[in-house]
Amino acid sequence: MQYPQIKQGAILVGTSGYSYADWMEYGFYPAGTKSAKMLPLYAEHFRITELNNTWYQMPKADATARRLALVPEKFLFTVKLTRSLTHEVEPEFWARRAAEFRAGIAPLQQAGRLLAVLMQLPPSFTRTLENRRYLGNLMAALEGVPLAVEFRHKSWADDHVFAELEKRRVTLVAVDEPPLPNLFPPLDVVTNPALFYVRFHGRNSGGWHSGNMQKQFDYDYAAAELEEWIEKRIGLMARKSAVGVLFFNNHVRAQAPNNALLMMHLLRQRGLETG
Amino acid sequence: MTDAPLPRRAVPGRAIIHLNVADFAVAVERGLDMRLCRRPVIIAAQAAARAIVYDMSEEAFSAGVRKGMPLWRAQKFCRDAHVLPPKPDRYERAMRHLFAKALPYAPRVELVDDKGHLFLDVTGTGRLLGRPEDIAWKIRKEVRKDFGFDPVWSVAPNKLLAKVATRIVKPLGEYIVEEGEEEEFLKPIPVAFIPGIEKPDITQMFEFNLKKAGDLLHWNAAQLEAVFQNRARHIYEAVRGIDPSPVLSVDEAAPVVNVDHPFGEDTNDAAILEAALYVCVEKAGGELRRRRLAAGRVGVTLDYTDGVRVSRAALGETATAVDPALFRVAMKAVALAWRRRVRIRHLKLVCDRLCYPPSQVELFADNEYRNCRENKLVCAIDAIRMKFGEQAVFFGRTFNSTRKW
Repeated sequence: MQYPQIKQGAILVGTSGYSYADWMEYGFYPAGTKSAKMLPLYAEHFRITELNNTWYQMPKADATARRLALVPEKFLFTVKLTRSLTHEVEPEFWARRAAEFRAGIAPLQQAGRLLAVLMQLPPSFTRTLENRRYLGNLMAALEGVPLAVEFRHKSWADDHVFAELEKRRVTLVAVDEPPLPNLFPPLDVVTNPALFYVRFHGRNSGGWHSGNMQKQFDYDYAAAELEEWIEKRIGLMARKSAVGVLFFNNHVRAQAPNNALLMMHLLRQRGLETG
Repeated sequence: MTDAPLPRRAVPGRAIIHLNVADFAVAVERGLDMRLCRRPVIIAAQAAARAIVYDMSEEAFSAGVRKGMPLWRAQKFCRDAHVLPPKPDRYERAMRHLFAKALPYAPRVELVDDKGHLFLDVTGTGRLLGRPEDIAWKIRKEVRKDFGFDPVWSVAPNKLLAKVATRIVKPLGEYIVEEGEEEEFLKPIPVAFIPGIEKPDITQMFEFNLKKAGDLLHWNAAQLEAVFQNRARHIYEAVRGIDPSPVLSVDEAAPVVNVDHPFGEDTNDAAILEAALYVCVEKAGGELRRRRLAAGRVGVTLDYTDGVRVSRAALGETATAVDPALFRVAMKAVALAWRRRVRIRHLKLVCDRLCYPPSQVELFADNEYRNCRENKLVCAIDAIRMKFGEQAVFFGRTFNSTRKW
């Protein structure tokens, strides 16, 4: 899939979610900003966001259309796949849930503003025959929707997997996360020439398994750490893909938008297009 | 026209979670007996001569069974239903477990009733516990794992919106209403789904072809008052999603509505007592409707001339805020409390076990329950009062009260 509204070779930067109450406290939003007013303010800084509350609730077309109306026409979205298709799969109902999900995001797709659907799979989703079959069926059920898949378990870091993703034109999500056992490693593999996708979760090893997102994603990237990513991987990935997206998920204390703005600055310093 | 009611302002920055285990009694029974899963279940006291439906499963609901329906009728709609007797103690125990599960996640948790409803006020807990939707999801996950229930949940800026959100996704699902999108969210919602908009209101709204909350948004407070009189402020706020009512934690007193009636002269005349009781019921009913609540129990306290005080209470078949239904329950309580020949000096009416009234969706179904006739009567009285004033018409039974006409 091509994205005509984005310049060839552009790397868009944003955050995973935009509606966090503590971002007011840390100055990203003015005090007293209502949740529904956050997206237009967010769009003053970034051209893209990853809708992640769709993981908690099945997206509804009317709510999705309302969001679309809040932002400029050039603003784009990626949408996280709902938990009932990734973490809490019920064999009898998942196909129906997939259809509901497609209906819920339809306004974005019809408006040409959906860059990808993020399928984030849990660490317990290891590379077994059963899981491979499910993943194949899920991708088939979402055919026609641009997909990006994020694995959390290292068993998926395999050339056969990458080849299959490439065949299906599905983006493999590159991740930055703590160096803990069994986690999917940071890679620069590009499986879709149309899009590469990187998620920065922070490197808080101590909080990663706490079960509390406030600890898990509490991390502030240093400029040197981001520069290292650009030098080692992002530059290379950008050469293999038409478009790239980088999302910061370290939302605690508004570190995500601050790091995202820093990343945009660093990319521009190196002459890379940020959309 | 009197001054238009002044709308209250929404309290900014609130995050309220509503957890609702759909068909709670059935969910509890299914948790104990897996064989009941995925088959129609009706909870009703089968042995009673005039048994009515206490609760039913989604399958039975789909077949036409409704709460409060006579069991014989329910069984006609759903012949293969498994009928179980109600076990209120068991449901109360299950509610206490559910409540305990939610307690670590919020400073204020409100046990609304014993039918699977909980409100959590998680305002300001973000730094400690994360986003409200994450908290709701975690509780739901724990409840599902430990008890086998799958609660519907919602996150919203207030209790009213949270309640509407769970109603529209029932029996399964979740909904997040963002602060600032209250009116947009409510616009397409049928008025019958909005807590506290009662059948008489709905009947009146239908006469004006007002079917959805959005239809009423064009009406300002003064226009609403012209039609709905003392209900105007409540309706104005409800359709805009304004509800500043707090989530009450367990250490706070349960909400009640009290009405006192001192007799001018001590009396033991049944007609006078009944008249006074109905006046109290009208006041309490009005207050309940203003607060968008219904009473599950009605109590009376009688102070006799000789200083003896007797209090008794009675339970309604379903929670209500409609005057005739409240009056019937109040009369039951009076029958229990009034066992002496000594004159009565003071009457107190207490409505408690307050909860959000059941959704009024059955209005659209083809039903012919007693309540319908009563509601028509209330509507007619409201219409007359609306046109000719509050004192234009009153129930004959209140004629003997000490009210001044």
